[in-house]
Amino acid sequence: MAPALHQFLLRVKSLFRRRRMGREMAEELEFHQAMLRQRLLRQGIPAAEVDMAATRAFGNVTRWHERLCELWQFRTLENFLRDLSFSARLLRKSPGFTAVALLTLALGVGANTAVFSLINGLLLRPLPVPHGEELAVLRMEEGGSQPRYDFCTPFFRSLEARHDVFADVFAYNPDTLQVQGRSANENIHGVLVSGQFFRALQTAPLLGRYLTPEDDRRGGSAAGLAVVISEHFWESWFNRAPDVVGRKLVIANVPFTVVGVMPKRFIGADPTERPQIFAPLSADPIIDAPRNHIDDGTHAWWLTVGARLQPGITMAQANASLFTVSGPVLHEASDDSSFIVDEEKGHFHFAAEPGSRGFTYARLLFRRPLVAMFGMCGGILLLACLNLASLLMARGAARERELATRLAIGATRGRLIRQLLAESMLIATMGTAAGLAAAPLVSGALAALLTSGNSSLHFDTLLDTSLDLRVFGFAALIAVASAVLIGLVPALQATAGNVNDHIKDGQHARQPYERRKILPRLLLASEVALALVLVVSAGLLATSLVRLFKSGVGFDPRGVVNIAFSMDKQQLEGDALMRLYQQLGEGLSQQPGVKSVSFQFIVPLAHLHWTGRYSARGGSPEIFDMNSVGPNYFGTMRIPLFQGREFRWSDTKTSGLKIILNQSAAKLLFPGEEALGRLVTNVQEQSSYEVVAVVGDTKYRDMRAPAAPAGYVPMMQDEQKKPSLSAVVRVDGPQAPLASAARSLAARLAPSIPEPTLTTMDEVLNNSMSAERMMALLAVFFAGCALLVTAIGLYGTLAYATARRTNEIGIRMALGAQRTRVMAMVFWENALVAAAGSGAGLVAALFASRVLASFLYGTSPRDPWVLLGSVAALTIIASAASLLPALRAARIEPMAAIRYE
Amino acid sequence: MLREENAGELIQGTLEMLILKALARGPLHGYAVVEWIQQTSQQVLKVEEGALYPALHRLELRGLLQAEWGASENNRRAKFYQLTTEGRKRLNAESLRWARLSAAVAFVMQAS
Repeated sequence: MAPALHQFLLRVKSLFRRRRMGREMAEELEFHQAMLRQRLLRQGIPAAEVDMAATRAFGNVTRWHERLCELWQFRTLENFLRDLSFSARLLRKSPGFTAVALLTLALGVGANTAVFSLINGLLLRPLPVPHGEELAVLRMEEGGSQPRYDFCTPFFRSLEARHDVFADVFAYNPDTLQVQGRSANENIHGVLVSGQFFRALQTAPLLGRYLTPEDDRRGGSAAGLAVVISEHFWESWFNRAPDVVGRKLVIANVPFTVVGVMPKRFIGADPTERPQIFAPLSADPIIDAPRNHIDDGTHAWWLTVGARLQPGITMAQANASLFTVSGPVLHEASDDSSFIVDEEKGHFHFAAEPGSRGFTYARLLFRRPLVAMFGMCGGILLLACLNLASLLMARGAARERELATRLAIGATRGRLIRQLLAESMLIATMGTAAGLAAAPLVSGALAALLTSGNSSLHFDTLLDTSLDLRVFGFAALIAVASAVLIGLVPALQATAGNVNDHIKDGQHARQPYERRKILPRLLLASEVALALVLVVSAGLLATSLVRLFKSGVGFDPRGVVNIAFSMDKQQLEGDALMRLYQQLGEGLSQQPGVKSVSFQFIVPLAHLHWTGRYSARGGSPEIFDMNSVGPNYFGTMRIPLFQGREFRWSDTKTSGLKIILNQSAAKLLFPGEEALGRLVTNVQEQSSYEVVAVVGDTKYRDMRAPAAPAGYVPMMQDEQKKPSLSAVVRVDGPQAPLASAARSLAARLAPSIPEPTLTTMDEVLNNSMSAERMMALLAVFFAGCALLVTAIGLYGTLAYATARRTNEIGIRMALGAQRTRVMAMVFWENALVAAAGSGAGLVAALFASRVLASFLYGTSPRDPWVLLGSVAALTIIASAASLLPALRAARIEPMAAIRYE
Repeated sequence: MLREENAGELIQGTLEMLILKALARGPLHGYAVVEWIQQTSQQVLKVEEGALYPALHRLELRGLLQAEWGASENNRRAKFYQLTTEGRKRLNAESLRWARLSAAVAFVMQAS
């Protein structure tokens, strides 16, 4: 191997000093001859004969020089470079073809790389922690279709204490922390972590220390409550002060000591989170006050649990061990026998799965849409390749004579194929480079589309879609695959067959063999089929999105703005707090353009929900979606009020409990009867509520599901001491001034609360459909591209083929063929291909759309209108693309055409 | 094949071995290599002298020789070749192989 390597390196070196090497070779040979001549002279050969004698002894100098040059030449590489420059010349000569080739390929590669880097960021990239392969994510199997990943505190604390298979078991919960700033509290994104969290993730702090099990106790360690902050927060909040360790942060009005700073690369265990503050889990009653997830025991499912395996323990062993402890942990956790019986019915048990990539709910949400998108991108790339292959093949056919001539004078077929492949490789490389350059932009935009303010994720959720080695590897793979796909078939085709025939046939009119060429047609037909599949998918997704939009939500979202106030850490509570809300409402309603103002606890369709069980007297309990709302809520939201009245500020705790039911709920509790004025009972609290109104149904949890039975209670009677409500403002005109108005109102009336946040109802609706919207947008874009690419392919190949038949057509016309006949002849050539492709594509689309069925709302995957429309779109495009060459053929002047050769 | 003038023609590959041997005592330029071979073989072994150069360059490419430009004995610029460690190893191996081969051929030829 070593000599071969040596040889390779020397040859590469010689490439760059070719001229000097040649000179040196000549000099070396010249030196030898000079010495030789001297010797011959010494031996007494007459001066006149010395040259001849020297040549006899030495041999032909030129020949030896050439031998030396050959020795040093880098044959393959030099040929390759020559092929490349030849191809570059050819491509420059047909800029139209080159532009189309590069654009379509760049599009395919760019889209693929972009989606792949999203998939990479969300699904593949490992957490930046040492020995990630030892990490596990724990889940619970309860017999349902989906495993659960949200644990309650008792389960976690029992598991945390066991170290038989796991070195560390940790839990975390992303949270929003109210940190005291200069004037008011600020909302900072953080995470509550258990004692073994940092130990399990094995990342050393930048400064100070990380949190340990001693910190994860009620009240903190002996030294008090501690937090660790991120490097980013250290920068933004403490201006990178070197003495940050030991300083105080007032979180939820309680002082915490900063004990450490984590480096930038550390992001915790959720790849979509960038927590600024890491606080101990046990501080939840302080941080989330007045809520308390820890004392809620088996009623609060709020923790994500991970673990690090003991060295030498496999995932199977860990699972076996978890299985055996599941029963005891369940019994330890709760005294509620009905809960335990329920869980045991579902064969409740814990399980572990590999956790090197961390855990994020976004993965569960977006895995399938991403994979579906990846499929579409793959389709568009394949389409681009097919298109280029058929264009190159058409061009190869035009070059048949040149290639045949070269074959005839001794070029090997391999050499010609290599040369044709160099061309496709050049296209592929340039296309890939262009695509790769555009990919970060595209994937950034896609990531923004995916996670845009999606409130089920956190507000500063980030997805790292940066290009890494894996993405580059993927792009390189695409480039090579597409080069081979584009180039190999046309190259084989162009160099096949009998040299003699090719040379003779060349440009001639006599080309019966062209009819028999099935391969180019097959390529074009599959291109049409693939385009149809893409168009049908896009049609289905877009139809579904439109239907989803039109399905209505039961209220009028246009012009409604939600302003969220965080009231849980300020002083006022109960009726005093309600008076504050009333003042805020009055302040807001005086803003320009504001028509009406109310309040709600839960913003519908923002992925939060609250349920309650209610029954009519003697009836069975029913589960309702619940909300707590303010006066004039239904008017503000434009939810129809069928009977009764809105809540009033006077509906306080002392004035008797009130409830408003929606139509479905009223029908469920009082079938066929009047609901107004009746009493319903909250099953859990055994308290009675008077029904004061019946209102229209609205969608609450999910856009896709029909409206569920729901109940509304007045915010004034909310059980929470300090409810954080959102103002619902219906505003006419610009909404932006409202944000600053709300800020100044809050600063005046409730100076300690964080800045209120403003979201429009339109945003909420858009976010609740983000996956659908993204898929539909992409699909439509891809379908447009597919149509364009197919049109180019159909046009290009037909134009080439027709140009080569100029002679034949001229003869036909000279013999009396009519122009319309000629036109039809050319046109039909493509029409047949398009028809065959559409047929095959329709069948393929019927299969492919089944995959999409789960993404569709109110749309059958075999929706006849979509199918029909897609075929029609493709037919029109194909006809337009074929008509141009046909028209051109019909305009051929017979005399000119025959003289052409 | 056994014509008189071809008596000194070299078997393929042998030339390379002879070059390595010639360079065993130190760096030489091409002409000196030829001279040494001819003298040492008492003018029996004759090569078309130009044929030496492809062989030299092949050996250089394979890393058995190292070349350097220097001044010749009559003060002209000349390319001097020198054995590399790799080349010395090869020379030893080739010598051994040649000794075995020629002894075996001698045995066969002396058999009655």
